[in-house]
Amino acid sequence: MDEEYDVEFIEREERSAKFLVRGVTPAFANGIRRAMIADVPTLAIDEVRFIENSSVMFDEQIALRLGLVPLSTPPNEFDEDDVVTLSLDVSGPATAYSGDIVSSDEMVQPAEENVPIIDLKDGQRLELEADAVLSTGKDHAKHQGGVSVGYRHLQRVETVGDRGEFEDVDPEIYRGVIQEGDELVDTEEFDHDLTNRYPDQEVAVEDVEHAFVFSVETDGSMSVEELFTRAVESLDARAAELEDAVSL
Amino acid sequence: MMVPVRCFTCGNVVGEHWEEFKARSREGDEDPEMVLDELGIDRYCCRRMLVSHKDLVDIVSPYQ
Ligand SMILES: [Zn+2]
Repeated sequence: MDEEYDVEFIEREERSAKFLVRGVTPAFANGIRRAMIADVPTLAIDEVRFIENSSVMFDEQIALRLGLVPLSTPPNEFDEDDVVTLSLDVSGPATAYSGDIVSSDEMVQPAEENVPIIDLKDGQRLELEADAVLSTGKDHAKHQGGVSVGYRHLQRVETVGDRGEFEDVDPEIYRGVIQEGDELVDTEEFDHDLTNRYPDQEVAVEDVEHAFVFSVETDGSMSVEELFTRAVESLDARAAELEDAVSL
Repeated sequence: MMVPVRCFTCGNVVGEHWEEFKARSREGDEDPEMVLDELGIDRYCCRRMLVSHKDLVDIVSPYQ
């Protein structure tokens, strides 16, 4: 791709965003989507050493629950083989929460504090040490930074005439973002039904070439912007690798 | 037994909302639909994780 691509935010929060990307092919848009799901590495607990577990759950079940807790993953700080040690020590009667996990690295913290790990009754105790490793969504879903990542074509809406006065009106449902002239409108504004926005007019809807509206959510291990840029970087790195491999 | 940490279908973390959801809609008298909306759990795959959950630790623990 020679041309620059252009990104415009429609909705922007820390963990979820909707943005328009112009100047990319459908294949490249899908490449970014897949990279956000499967190729951006995040930290997650992968090995747990139990010192004491007298709870009602087996060690394996607790290890699985710990693995699913998202951990904040600062960019470019960790390599594939790095290990971050975390520990948890809770005595009943109490509930062990993800927020009780103590990390040995200040940059790596549970992204969510209130996830119950296990309810401990009187006399029960959970003490463990865990290793978090860096890996990708390809390897295990717990390493998947992007949650519900998708894209749609941007759609251009133009009025093409008046609707007959006594015509029956069927709903015209579109979900995503439409373009009216130069303006972008989220279809949520008119309850996804074009007949709410243009009650008396006939409209023509067509896809805008090379313009895609992404909606991205992350699990909290990184921000949406970071996830997106790192997905593009990973595509870039693989393209460079391929170029290297085939050049003489 | 314990509420699942993530939604089985989409992978969104839902476990953190369980205690509030339980307190307000099961033990309180609020409408579960409204509580889920307020908690920001929008997709029906995630909503069913909380709606269909039952804590079993209290039931299992005497037989430890
Ligand atoms: Zn879900």
